[in-house]
Amino acid sequence: MEKRIITSPKTGDSCVYVKHPSGLDIYICEMPGFSSVEALFGTKYGSINTMFKMKEDSEYTVVPEGIAHFLEHKLFENEDCDVFELYAKTGASANAFTSFDKTCYLFSCSKNYLESLEILLDFVQKPYFTKASVDKEQGIIGQEIKMTNDNPEWRVFFNMLRAMYHNHPVKIDIAGTVESIAQIDAELLYKCYNTFYNLNNMVLSIAGNVKADEVLEICDKCLRACEDKGLETVFPEEPEEIVQAELRETQPVGTPIFHIGYKCKPCDGRERLKKVMEATIACGILTDASSEMYQSLLEKGLINSGFGAEVFSGDGYFSVIFSGESTSPEEVRDALKAEISRITAEGMSESDFQRIKKSTYGLLIRELNNVEAVANLMINAGMDKVSPFETIEILSEMKVSDCFEFIKNELTGDKVVMSVVEGE
Amino acid sequence: MKYNRQELAGNIGFSSVVDPKFKTNSIVIRFITEMNSETSADNAVGVGVLSSSNSRYKTLAQLNEKLSSLYGASFSSAVKKRGDIQILSVGASWINNRYAIDGEDITSEMLDIVCGSVFSPNADGTRFDEASFRITKKDLLDKIESEINNKRGYALSRASEVAFRGEPAENSCYGTKESAEAVTSESAYSAYKKLLKEAQIEIFYIAPEESEKVQERIVKEFSVLERNSAGRSFVSPSKLKSETERVSEELDVNQSKMVLSFKTDSDDKYALKLLSMIYGETPVSKLFMNVREKMSLCYYCASRLVSSKKALFVDSGVEKSNIEKAEAEILRQLDEIRAGNFTDDELTNALVSIENALMTIGDTPSSYSMWYFERFCEGNIITPEQQLEEYRSVTRERIIEASKSLKLDSVYLMLNKEAK
Repeated sequence: MEKRIITSPKTGDSCVYVKHPSGLDIYICEMPGFSSVEALFGTKYGSINTMFKMKEDSEYTVVPEGIAHFLEHKLFENEDCDVFELYAKTGASANAFTSFDKTCYLFSCSKNYLESLEILLDFVQKPYFTKASVDKEQGIIGQEIKMTNDNPEWRVFFNMLRAMYHNHPVKIDIAGTVESIAQIDAELLYKCYNTFYNLNNMVLSIAGNVKADEVLEICDKCLRACEDKGLETVFPEEPEEIVQAELRETQPVGTPIFHIGYKCKPCDGRERLKKVMEATIACGILTDASSEMYQSLLEKGLINSGFGAEVFSGDGYFSVIFSGESTSPEEVRDALKAEISRITAEGMSESDFQRIKKSTYGLLIRELNNVEAVANLMINAGMDKVSPFETIEILSEMKVSDCFEFIKNELTGDKVVMSVVEGE
Repeated sequence: MKYNRQELAGNIGFSSVVDPKFKTNSIVIRFITEMNSETSADNAVGVGVLSSSNSRYKTLAQLNEKLSSLYGASFSSAVKKRGDIQILSVGASWINNRYAIDGEDITSEMLDIVCGSVFSPNADGTRFDEASFRITKKDLLDKIESEINNKRGYALSRASEVAFRGEPAENSCYGTKESAEAVTSESAYSAYKKLLKEAQIEIFYIAPEESEKVQERIVKEFSVLERNSAGRSFVSPSKLKSETERVSEELDVNQSKMVLSFKTDSDDKYALKLLSMIYGETPVSKLFMNVREKMSLCYYCASRLVSSKKALFVDSGVEKSNIEKAEAEILRQLDEIRAGNFTDDELTNALVSIENALMTIGDTPSSYSMWYFERFCEGNIITPEQQLEEYRSVTRERIIEASKSLKLDSVYLMLNKEAK
């Protein structure tokens, strides 16, 4: 068993990393003074992993859209009971989520954390699917899909992805469609489970009022060793170009909501982390309330305080998204394009860069103040195969030229799409 | 952890929490006043302007530049409703001085900004600065308009309009669209001046270390205010309608929503909370296990207690064709509790779940602030441990009594158009 302590030279915070003999990567952060515990047990398997094979297979398997999310729902049912009934005894608050590139099972609690950890490790390793239970779940998820279709924030985001990506499965809805989930059966679920829920493809992250030795004792007891079968996932070829510049939808909303996205080139590992930080500072500069562009949009009433930006990235996709509410989203898009051209032509102000860098540093420090945030930080780092405190190191080394190059090379006028959801 | 509350003259409270594990300092100043359809929007804009500029940082651009140079310190305002009361707040949070790379005294600078905004806003003595006012007013109008974006939240607020009709709690804390449109920079400024004089003011400061300097400064700044403020009642029971009222409206949505509003005359708040937990607040509650899991009638179906109005809501996302069946089952599950048909396990589960939630309150600055503020509103400042003891002493009989006290007041339906 490999065990080491990872420490951030900048803040002094540290965590324990363990490569468990079962194949699992484990991250534990003891946080003195905190009462709560947050644990996440996750697999690098999300809605985008629709095509995969093992080393021994000759052909790739293609599965229906939404199956990772379906599997997440089904794992909560054991052969003899519902997992929530087990957690009810320990008092932990349990949940799970499926995103584009991962599925995580989690709990938070303030007592009995070892019992809850045992429940977590146990049920995720114990799939039980039958025809009857799969049929029933199709009804429940069908309702969930309907409900999310009533969520304009969700629609505006996915419409933007559809306008941006030709082939990459990031453009499909995480829950799939009523038609795609109708193709799911118990056999397919077992196939996906056995492929992706291999401990070599998974990470456990636990933070807060915990003791590393106690956690590892439960892991030794509950984890069943897995053979690394050389999982390969592939994505269809994705051109650099966008699909269409604009997509609009009508729904009952107040002021029209918009997502303006720039399609950037994807990358992996530490390179991605660095690019994410460059993009984060670029977002900070472009949505900075002190900037002339922001002031002018605000004074014209074209944005409100909800205007902001975020970086969205994963396996095979990378984009920068500006979002908000506006009576004229196209004017916001044009102003953004003009501001990016101006920065590209005139250069980036060193003092603005330093100020936004400082403010980003403050946000990273705040994250370490919170048990849930630390647990999330560790599981994301574990899945991306980087160190949990690497972000803060990368940030401290970043120069204005790095951020400038990102804006110049990646935020180009031909890669921008706009999605709008507006009332009738 | 150390908690301390000091009463200042004129109905102002200053509470501080010192907990060395935190890496941030934060402050929240709450102005507490009656909810009123005439003044809510003026108050919201009046307090909203405070976080967009002040007499020293005269534009949002200048203020924001300062905040980002202070390691991305946050400074914002918020409006909430608690029963018949409107709560307006300004809050700030920043990283502790020990993390300042360049050795700045972030805390002093932030207190300058917060106190500057409260005592020396960007105004000329009769009105707020026009640009700051305009931005804040637009934000408020957009917030009111976009309430419909979140269908679950929208259904709940329409249900409280119906349940609390004729009472201050029927209003939105932001005011109506019409009243927000009518706000001027003069009316917002005089509303803010009135709050400074008459609202109850509760200040919370949460930091990793004790600081007499901070306390002295806050006390000094607030003691110069000319005050004429009366205490407020934080509980205002809502009257039960003589006949269950049904309101339905159509919207262009895929999933219909149903909200059942109940009222109670019971004062046993701990029994009511346990009842709500067993009934519909957890994934092992009666509503979740039966209405969603066993019968697949609703995607979500949950209960929530509104102690300040002595009301309980059950909200659900439901197919139109299942509405009648779902309502019958929701009511039947309540009858089960009334008849004592819940196990000791169900009660124990509710208790451990409450215990888990209570014991995590000290883990974030905002949950500390919420906890002590809520206790202040209840007029009984106790610790989470003390409250847990109260819950533990609740008997089955008290829960059954509490469930019998619930009476159906009204039903709100949001129906999808296609399914007519």
